[in-house]
Amino acid sequence: MDPIVAAASVIAAALAVGLASIGPGIGQGNAAGQAVEGIARQPEAEGKIRGTLLLSLAFMEALTIYGLVVSLVLLFANPFA
Amino acid sequence: MLMIHPLVLAKLEVGEHLYWQVGGLKLHGQVFLTSWLVIGALLLVSFLATRNIQRVPSGLQNFMEYALEFIRDIAKNQIGEKEYRPWVPFVGTLFLFIFVSNWSGALIPWKLIHLPSGELAAPTNDINTTVALALLTSLAYFYAGFSKRGLGYFAKYIEPTPILLPINILEDFTKPLSLSFRLFGNILADELVVAVLVLLVPLFVPLPVMVLGLFTSAIQALIFATLAAAYIGEAIEGHGGEEHG
Amino acid sequence: MTNFVWLLAVEAADAVEEGGGLFDFDATLPLMAVQFVLLAVALNALFYKPLGKVLDERDGYISSNRVDAAERLAKAEKIAKQYQQELAETRRQAQTVIAEAQEEAQKIAAQTVAAAQQEAQTQREQVQRELDEQKNQAMVTLEQQVDGLSQQILDKLLGALAV
Repeated sequence: MDPIVAAASVIAAALAVGLASIGPGIGQGNAAGQAVEGIARQPEAEGKIRGTLLLSLAFMEALTIYGLVVSLVLLFANPFA
Repeated sequence: MLMIHPLVLAKLEVGEHLYWQVGGLKLHGQVFLTSWLVIGALLLVSFLATRNIQRVPSGLQNFMEYALEFIRDIAKNQIGEKEYRPWVPFVGTLFLFIFVSNWSGALIPWKLIHLPSGELAAPTNDINTTVALALLTSLAYFYAGFSKRGLGYFAKYIEPTPILLPINILEDFTKPLSLSFRLFGNILADELVVAVLVLLVPLFVPLPVMVLGLFTSAIQALIFATLAAAYIGEAIEGHGGEEHG
Repeated sequence: MTNFVWLLAVEAADAVEEGGGLFDFDATLPLMAVQFVLLAVALNALFYKPLGKVLDERDGYISSNRVDAAERLAKAEKIAKQYQQELAETRRQAQTVIAEAQEEAQKIAAQTVAAAQQEAQTQREQVQRELDEQKNQAMVTLEQQVDGLSQQILDKLLGALAV
């Protein structure tokens, strides 16, 4: 593997995961905060809120995972190697 | 291969496969081995649970009835009371297969078994499996739409306006793509994180991450089944369904 | 750590050499799909159908039992109500009977008392009459004796004077 391509791939992989985690991080924080607020207002709806929260958290998590997949491709299945 | 080392358990392998040649076809052997185990376990448990069916359930039958009610609830919530029954087997098998696969990858110490090449892991760890499941889901919702609404199914592509036609067509491609990559990425990431941690600190430290991995795996199975059911429900009902990335 | 990085590099290189990799699509995909469909069919026959049937049957059993129980409860309540009505009726009757009996008893007692009083009155009157009569008789005899005695006294006094 060309050393420049290798270095660029590693940096790109790190950036991919790092940047991909910013948005979902903010989104998950928002969602969790709103869920806590919802539970505080209506404690009897806790079960429903928790289920929905987990599901939506997983959807946001998936966005980071896309970035992770890209970085995994760069690391382990680099098309430019 | 080159790791003759005390930490054989911690070998990190990505993108290696145990190749089988069947006819002119190349297969990933490790995926089939583990998937057969998963399928065998599912069939065995269902057989044991339904062998002696009682009106008042106990033990395994009780547990499997709980699982069935859980699956029915998923299908009912997404597809609707009227139409969900024929889709219970599909959605349920998606859930069970993915769930048991994910957990088998996390709970069974596959790495103790050495293969000539590649390593045993959850079947959902392989992109072929997840893409297969996602494509089946696509086929399922196309079938659901056609069988329910005939050619009128295509009307949904120009709703609400014909301008959205490209986006609506694109959606049919992004749906399986996101489904398969979500599952594949989550499971692979989980196993990689555990593997990297085991590589650094072999004892105890990876345990919380493994527990988190179990949780994520279960949620991913639930999400895959829920989304598949939601797509099917959307195709049956027409527009107005929920949209998920 | 260096070992780790080196390892990653080696694995990746290996994967590329073998023509494998992370996104290695081959006949695994369709075979997995077929396998999955077969699993769905098998589980449908082995798991969803029998257990679903049991669940539905149990639901039917429970709801029919519930309807049955509700019917029986309604019937029991009706019977209880009827019994209560009858009980109240009987109680009322019993009360009237008691009241009648009390009234009658009072009447009889009053009659008896009146008769006894009357009898006592007549007896007393009779006794009084007898007493009066005896008193009269006694008075009569007493007067006769007084007359006799006064005659004797007079004779004696007159005789002594005469002598």
